[in-house]
Amino acid sequence: MRSSRTFGLATLVTAAVLLTAGCSLGGDDDDGGSEAAGTQTGATTTTGGGGGGGQGGNVLGAVQSRGTLNCGVNEAVPGFGFVTEGGEFQGFDIDYCRVVAAAVLGDADAVEYKPLTAEQRFTALQSGEIDVLIRNTTRTASRDGSEGATFLTTTFYDGQGMMVRADSDYQELEDLAGATICVLSGTTTELNLESQFQARGVEYTPLAFEDNDPLQQAFTAERCDAWTSDKSQLAGVRSNWPEGQGGPEALRILDVTMSKEPLGPVVRDGDSNWASAVDWAILATMQAEEFDISSENIDEALESDDPEVRRFLGQPAEEDGSVFDPGLGLPTDFAVNVIREVGNYEEIYNRNVGPDSALGLERGLNALWTDGGLHYPPPYR
Amino acid sequence: MSATTTAVTRRPPPWRDVRVLRLALQALFLLGVVSLVLFLLDNLVFNLRRLGIETGFGFLDQPAGFAIPDSDFRSSQDIQAAILQGARTTVVVALAGIVLATLLGVVVGVARLSTNWLVRRTAALYVETFRNVPVLVIIVFLYLAVFLRLPPISRAVEWVDVLVLSNRGLVVPWLRGTGSTGSFLLAALVVLALAAGVWVWRTRRFDRTGEKHRRVLWAGATLLAGLAVAFVATGRPYGLSLPERGDLGVANGFRVGPEFAALLFGLVLYTASHIAEIVRGSIQAVARGQTEAANALGLSEFQRLRLVVLPQAFRIAIPPLANQFLNLTKNSSLGIAVSVYEVTKVTRVSISQGAPAPQAIAILMLVYLVFSLTIAFFTNLANRRLTLP
Repeated sequence: MRSSRTFGLATLVTAAVLLTAGCSLGGDDDDGGSEAAGTQTGATTTTGGGGGGGQGGNVLGAVQSRGTLNCGVNEAVPGFGFVTEGGEFQGFDIDYCRVVAAAVLGDADAVEYKPLTAEQRFTALQSGEIDVLIRNTTRTASRDGSEGATFLTTTFYDGQGMMVRADSDYQELEDLAGATICVLSGTTTELNLESQFQARGVEYTPLAFEDNDPLQQAFTAERCDAWTSDKSQLAGVRSNWPEGQGGPEALRILDVTMSKEPLGPVVRDGDSNWASAVDWAILATMQAEEFDISSENIDEALESDDPEVRRFLGQPAEEDGSVFDPGLGLPTDFAVNVIREVGNYEEIYNRNVGPDSALGLERGLNALWTDGGLHYPPPYR
Repeated sequence: MSATTTAVTRRPPPWRDVRVLRLALQALFLLGVVSLVLFLLDNLVFNLRRLGIETGFGFLDQPAGFAIPDSDFRSSQDIQAAILQGARTTVVVALAGIVLATLLGVVVGVARLSTNWLVRRTAALYVETFRNVPVLVIIVFLYLAVFLRLPPISRAVEWVDVLVLSNRGLVVPWLRGTGSTGSFLLAALVVLALAAGVWVWRTRRFDRTGEKHRRVLWAGATLLAGLAVAFVATGRPYGLSLPERGDLGVANGFRVGPEFAALLFGLVLYTASHIAEIVRGSIQAVARGQTEAANALGLSEFQRLRLVVLPQAFRIAIPPLANQFLNLTKNSSLGIAVSVYEVTKVTRVSISQGAPAPQAIAILMLVYLVFSLTIAFFTNLANRRLTLP
């Protein structure tokens, strides 16, 4: 009796082991082929949508079959990624999550927002927890290289700044010798702070926090003398500064730009189809502003005779009634969905960070190339 | 039926032989575990390569790029040096935490058994409060509600030019090394060895002759005399560094920052509440007969505690105490919440600045493993020395 039970157990264990061993060790080829695809993470085995050439995963197909977009966002930066009292996500980056969802799924609200800290964001992207990271992330060489990330079109050209109390008399970075400076850890801000102050030969003490809550407390308690971050973030914080501590007038942002901070959406390396699809969804908002199409006049624009506009909006061409499909895997009228449900770049900008919003940021470098800014959408043909 | 047949011991066939089956099962299990681990590793390497993330440990030689406050670490040094600096901080927090928590825990634990009602209730209140609050909450509370609320540097409290207290830290006078510090330390080592020799000599003399050894007096006197001679002989090995208050901070002296203090005191308060319970339990586990016998011998309460109860209670308390020491060491990783650059925070910052996460976390786990094994080693030593034969 006992020996037959042991024998049965032994058979079970052997079977389990053989199964595991059989599925494993599928070879470590470097060309990214999904040979042992069934057990590898982050990829489905369906063929890439649209044109060929996609290596590895198929995020576009996964998103379309799932029906929602997993978007990595910030929840603590007013103007960019913020949670209102009603629990709604609001901001420039949030709107771009909706742009991608509108383009890929046709529904701007089909987004699952995943708030991430600066230290978690790249790991979350690499592991496949999110499909796209739109979280005021600066494009740098090391992130492109060693973080397994692909950066898409820059949506916001920013720079790093320094915020101090209005009653202090700091004007230049050199005035901050010996000061304690609060910064968020895990950001390019932290690295820039170090290199800028080293370059000037100025001693200082950094105080790096995981997120903005204890940082704000420390700044309020005068634990640190200055707060450094992207200027847009500082503007957002300043706009939200409580009246009990003097309101926005109690703070001053120095007239110094410490670095270039091109902020834009990020996707994972290895899926160029998905990267192209997201990229053109974003470019559609800028192209729409260039054509003067907004959510308010989209219906009139659909009737336009201009062949460029008709092609852009996925309308049948005059001559033969064919509809232009660039092979991105997106529906041919994705631009219409984007504009109608979210708006063009100007609307997104003004709604969240524009001169009339709480942040009060001028377009500056963020204007279209026709207005002296840096946004230059490639032709849609 | 032949009643005289001798039983023939025949080995059963392998598939029914228990010994063979046991070995086979163990081998199969081992094979299963090994193949699972290999599969997971292979999966990891495959996916890292697919994303273009490096799979080796080369990142350790990259320059860190970030600064670590309150240390000599420069941002141009490599990540390996950063992790070592973080480990140093963890060691300081762990050691200081263990010592302080044990002291406080023993005091509170004994107080819980006091005959004085007020003392007993206060100790019970302390234990119940701090045991039931998560340690992270205690640390963050101490930082935000206590240490940040100290006066800002512009209104710092100065005490006779010697102490400066503000929400940027407590600065006390400290010894400043001069040129002859090295030789003084060498001489101090020699004196220490001498004092140890005196201790052993007096103990041996006591064993041989039975005369009072007074070894503490002898060894202590040797130590002090030797250090004094070394101090004079090496000139001025140490100078005094007094705090000087500026607008943005305090120069010189030795500074304990609010972040470090919040982490240390949070850990100490929390762990001490657990240690108090362990001490109380171990005292109560000593047989009642011992207390009664000590009373019968006429020992005072303090003598009874020190000579009879505590030595026996200590024996019982060591394994759970070791546990608490390990917990404190690992809880020091909560320094990330209040910006203390211990090894976990340094690793996290490195990861967010480009180091590959699986390798960096593996190193972090190794560091904590080394700490834990060291603590376990020393407590096992103590355990073995104190076990009843």
